[in-house]
Amino acid sequence: MDATQSPSWKVSFTALVGAFLASLGLNAAEPTGGAAPSWQLQDGERIVLLGDTLFERDGQLGFLETALVTAFPEANLEFRNLGWGGDTVWADSRGVFDPPAKGYARMLKLVEELAPDVIFVAYGRNESFAGDRQLDAFSKQLDKLCADLCQQKAGTTGESPRLVLVTPSPFERQPTCPDADARNAVLARYATVIRETAAARQVGLVDLFAEWPQTPATTPFTTDGLHLSPDGYRTAARLFVAAAGRQLPADWADHSAPVRERINAKNQLFFHRWRPANETYLFLFRKHEQGNNAAEIPRFDPLVAEAEAAVRAARDARPATGDLP
Amino acid sequence: MTISSRLLLTGFFIILVAAPRPVVAQRSLTDIPAPDPTAELAAMLVAEGYEVNLFAADPLIRKPLQMNFDPQGRLWVSSSSVYPQIQPGEVANDTVTILEDRDGDGRADTHTVFADGLLMPTAVLPGDGGCYVANSTELLHLADQDGDGKADQRRVVLSGFGAEDTHHIIHTFRWGPDARLFFNQSIYIHSHVETPAGVKRLNGGGIWRFLPRSLALDVYARGWVNTWGHAFDQWHRSLVTDGAGGEGIYYGFPGAAYQAAVGTSRILHGMNPGSPKYCGLEIVDGPHLPDDAHGTLITNDFRANRVCRFRLTEQGSGFSSEQLPDLIRSKRVTFRPIDIKLGPDGAIYIADWYNPIIQHGEVDFRDPRRDREHGRIWRVTAKGRPLAPRVDFSGRSIPELLDDLATQSAYGRDMARRVLWTHNPVSIRQAVTAWLAELDPAAASFERLRLEGLRLFQAIDRGSASEINQPLLAEVLGSTDPRARAAAARIAVDWADRLDDPVGLLAATVDDESMLVRLEGVRALATIGGPRAAELVLQAVDRPRDDALDYAAWLASRELRADWLPAVVAGDSPIIAHPRRLLFAIEATGAAEAIPTVVRLLQTGSLSNDDRQAALDCIARFGGPAELQLVFEAAVQPTTAPARAATLLEFLLESQTRRRVRPAGPLAGLEQLIGSPDAAVAKAAAAAAGRWQLVTAIEPLARLATDTKQPTALRRTAIENLGRFTEAAAAVAPLGQLAGDRATPMALRIAAMAAMLNQQPEAAAAAAVSLLASPVAEAEQAAIFQAFLSRQGSPAVLAAALEAAEQPLPTSVATTGLQQLAGSGRAEPALVAALKRLEGRPDQPLARRGFSATEMTKFLAFVQASGNATRGQEIYRREKLQCVKCHRIGREGGKVGPNLSTIGVASQPDYIVNSLLEPARNVKEGYNTLVVLTADGQVVTGIPVSRTDTELVLRTADDKQLTIRTADIDEESAGTSLMPVGLVDQLSRQELADLASYLFGLGREGL
Repeated sequence: MDATQSPSWKVSFTALVGAFLASLGLNAAEPTGGAAPSWQLQDGERIVLLGDTLFERDGQLGFLETALVTAFPEANLEFRNLGWGGDTVWADSRGVFDPPAKGYARMLKLVEELAPDVIFVAYGRNESFAGDRQLDAFSKQLDKLCADLCQQKAGTTGESPRLVLVTPSPFERQPTCPDADARNAVLARYATVIRETAAARQVGLVDLFAEWPQTPATTPFTTDGLHLSPDGYRTAARLFVAAAGRQLPADWADHSAPVRERINAKNQLFFHRWRPANETYLFLFRKHEQGNNAAEIPRFDPLVAEAEAAVRAARDARPATGDLP
Repeated sequence: MTISSRLLLTGFFIILVAAPRPVVAQRSLTDIPAPDPTAELAAMLVAEGYEVNLFAADPLIRKPLQMNFDPQGRLWVSSSSVYPQIQPGEVANDTVTILEDRDGDGRADTHTVFADGLLMPTAVLPGDGGCYVANSTELLHLADQDGDGKADQRRVVLSGFGAEDTHHIIHTFRWGPDARLFFNQSIYIHSHVETPAGVKRLNGGGIWRFLPRSLALDVYARGWVNTWGHAFDQWHRSLVTDGAGGEGIYYGFPGAAYQAAVGTSRILHGMNPGSPKYCGLEIVDGPHLPDDAHGTLITNDFRANRVCRFRLTEQGSGFSSEQLPDLIRSKRVTFRPIDIKLGPDGAIYIADWYNPIIQHGEVDFRDPRRDREHGRIWRVTAKGRPLAPRVDFSGRSIPELLDDLATQSAYGRDMARRVLWTHNPVSIRQAVTAWLAELDPAAASFERLRLEGLRLFQAIDRGSASEINQPLLAEVLGSTDPRARAAAARIAVDWADRLDDPVGLLAATVDDESMLVRLEGVRALATIGGPRAAELVLQAVDRPRDDALDYAAWLASRELRADWLPAVVAGDSPIIAHPRRLLFAIEATGAAEAIPTVVRLLQTGSLSNDDRQAALDCIARFGGPAELQLVFEAAVQPTTAPARAATLLEFLLESQTRRRVRPAGPLAGLEQLIGSPDAAVAKAAAAAAGRWQLVTAIEPLARLATDTKQPTALRRTAIENLGRFTEAAAAVAPLGQLAGDRATPMALRIAAMAAMLNQQPEAAAAAAVSLLASPVAEAEQAAIFQAFLSRQGSPAVLAAALEAAEQPLPTSVATTGLQQLAGSGRAEPALVAALKRLEGRPDQPLARRGFSATEMTKFLAFVQASGNATRGQEIYRREKLQCVKCHRIGREGGKVGPNLSTIGVASQPDYIVNSLLEPARNVKEGYNTLVVLTADGQVVTGIPVSRTDTELVLRTADDKQLTIRTADIDEESAGTSLMPVGLVDQLSRQELADLASYLFGLGREGL
């Protein structure tokens, strides 16, 4: 299956959605720079979030997922968050007892099992600490990652999943991050690689690095110079949605609090499913001892499904009321 | 074990066996003591001069994991009922609780749940307006913004910590004297933590240190299995305990590596070999506790239900440690002391996790005996001594707090520091400067207090150039007390980016009269780095060094490789003028690039005799083919002393094995050495000839192999090396002859058979079948099977030969073969089938299984009724059972398997019995085997000892350490246990009961 795909259907779909949103009193935003948005999400699709702490913490805070669920009201979407702190395009955090290459293979296997239609790929910040000398290697490995992900089959169509690459948000000058400017100078080149990879492969892009606002409105965008604060996540969420050519109502974050709460509950259950504690005994080299306890783990599946339904119910409840039955 | 303790032990068993129900009853499966604190207290044996009272218990606190006091004197406790694993549908609701004894009666009278909704919070440490909490994969800060006593702000400070094993997740929080938060992770954890300075990774166990203010995070020391204790002495030196290690108290310093450290080929050792498993650590101090206890270490042996004490003596760069009589011992299996802290009244506080079950790797997650409800905090006071006056440090002024640093109270000094850090840095700097000026230089405490002052400058440092105090640092580096100088060297590292000449400032440390200062100086210089630092680090080699200092210099040589090697290679380094320093650096790093420099040095003829030898050894170990040829020629020279020749050949062989480098040749003269009258030379030469496939050596090797006048060991070497000539028929003939020769000792016949495996596996298998058909001992049968099991593809060949055997084979062959197979961790279905047919039970399961629940109940009742521990001890010592060969009890026994000194109190009886019957079922952490297939077809099973990018070291069943080049590893798979299956099959039910009875009692001596 070719990794590239025709964006033609998206334009008409966006127009359709725009009309739909207009009927709800929402505005479908003009895509950035007037170009057609590079990606969309459709009803019934499963979306995988693959990346570093940006996604891992969204699994607890839920802003990005909530924003996407809110911005695509016509679609029932399923999110599976595979973020892992400290991770890189080489899967440096996923090796566990094995070298990263094996963790990379396990990650691909997991993606295969999940059979997502869309995969958001957010890497580059951790890699950027190695400076320009690793830039080339990063570029090659990012491209390999894209190619490997495109080898998978989407659950709904059996075709290659659609990728959306995400550039890191910039470092923010803080007492804990005094050298943000120097770090951003390097990070900019990593962001360029990501942008170029997206263009070359004709896959989607969310360009946090380029679109990031210069100064925070009220509170800092990050808690420590790199990890997003709730305000930072709200900002990132807007940029995700805008990249799809959509827009969120100004008070979406407040209105969608019940949705977010359920998303977080769902993500917590899914975390215990895919990255359970005690892996050593459940699945790895000591499974001959307590491996029998691994039978508990699939019992999270129906709970995740239930939680997913609760997310939808909350999303479909009238947003204006803000609270739920 | 000393004679007296053995008598005591024996005496105890008589009591145990003769005693009516109470003692024995609690060992049974279902009869766990009632969770009554009064009864638990009554069951404690407390050291003379001390008494214990209950400070707090369930339901106020459940399952306490860690506790720490705050400057107000309140005790923060983290607790988990979710441990060991969240159940599907369960909501994680673990807590942090604050306990307070407001009326000072030694009992908690106020109790607040500060935070809930946590997931296995293994640590809590108050600070920065709330507390830091270990929450599985995260380090959280929880704060109470509105002052209602409950956390309302939850901040993820760091995340990305592993949770591959929930009793290994980050734990043991403690403030260092430098305002860093020290915390630990255990052996199975892999952490990847994003910080503003990049991702910090730690695979395996170790100690992290973290400065919350700047988010600076780094690894302080590596290794250990479960580093569940860490304390600082009054000179800020680290002492460490391991909840699963076997060496008592450990000394910690930056860069130290201990057992199971990932990625290092060298480790240090604890101070009390054979003294296993301690959790928590505190150093006794303060006015309430007796003066003679001051400075002793207190820690918990939760497996054996006791609180232990150690006394340290300064020695070399660290300490020696002596175990003292226990502070508390309990007969109750549920008493599980896991944390220990000095409190605001000077008393000792002990967190009792309270559980009949410990661990979850060896005990089922959902074992119904797991307690999830209870927990206690005990308080230990010294009888008849006044309590320390309680002080709310948070309300003290800066001058008062500075004076607190002078008191003889570790608790007070810790709290004073912690409050001082929260004050305005400008005020602190002014106040400390004034305070230092007032100190009396003649006072005994002067050096320690001046160091405390310097520490404060370091602790409140925000990173600007004006904040460091260079003159004070220089003064403390010049202190009359080496302990102050050592601490100052470490502080210099933190300020290196702003000091005028940090390396120059530290130059004197590497030549200091104190080994401790040299150790810290070397570590400090290695961290700062640069060519001058590298030269200084190597200067430390000139003086005597203990293991830790030698390790520090070794590590520094490796870390600073890029700082010294280029100049050495270019020939213009000052290090070259000091051959010992140069050779040390090369040996530490294996830097082959530097060998030509050594050759030149050797050729100048300027070296002393000793240095010449050392240089030649170094070339032999690290040189290239041409350089190894020089060594070879030196070795075969007739003027070379035999011992030297053997040494050089052995080094050359090591180069062959580890680096696959051999002398360029020609290898003339080696044949003659095989016939040397010196056995060591002959042996080394024979081995070299085989390794290097020197065809002209086949004849002398065959001569040596068949010479009945030669010692067996030497003949064996010749035989083994004949086996290396895979192409030469001339080498096979003598092997076949030896294997079939009834006059040859059996060990050599087996060796010859094994050597044939390389060239003619079928012929070897036929020879093996003939040997098995003759009357051979069980150990010899085992050796025959091992020969086939250690070579890829060979077991199937043996299976075919067994199937085709014309001569009748005894069924003991099948029993031995199946035992060896089970212990090998491999399947080999063809061989299993052949042996099962031979055994006449082709449909029976392979290994004897553990008992079913019903069988177990019956058997345990039988043990209780008629097990005899004294007889059990005799059975344990039977050579045939091999228990002593691998397991240590007290000071006796091998190290291949887990130490069993306290197995009786650490494990429930059913697990002990099942481990005897089915060793692979529950394997102690750190004892799981790895099965490695090498590129040349060898199969090796062993316990991983260390692993680096280039080498893997395994401990094999015969307690040998085997080094395998990573490049030679074709495949790795997880094995199970090295303990052979079926060892106890030969025991009668009565004997098994006796053995069980003996093991159940271990760790309960004297109770």
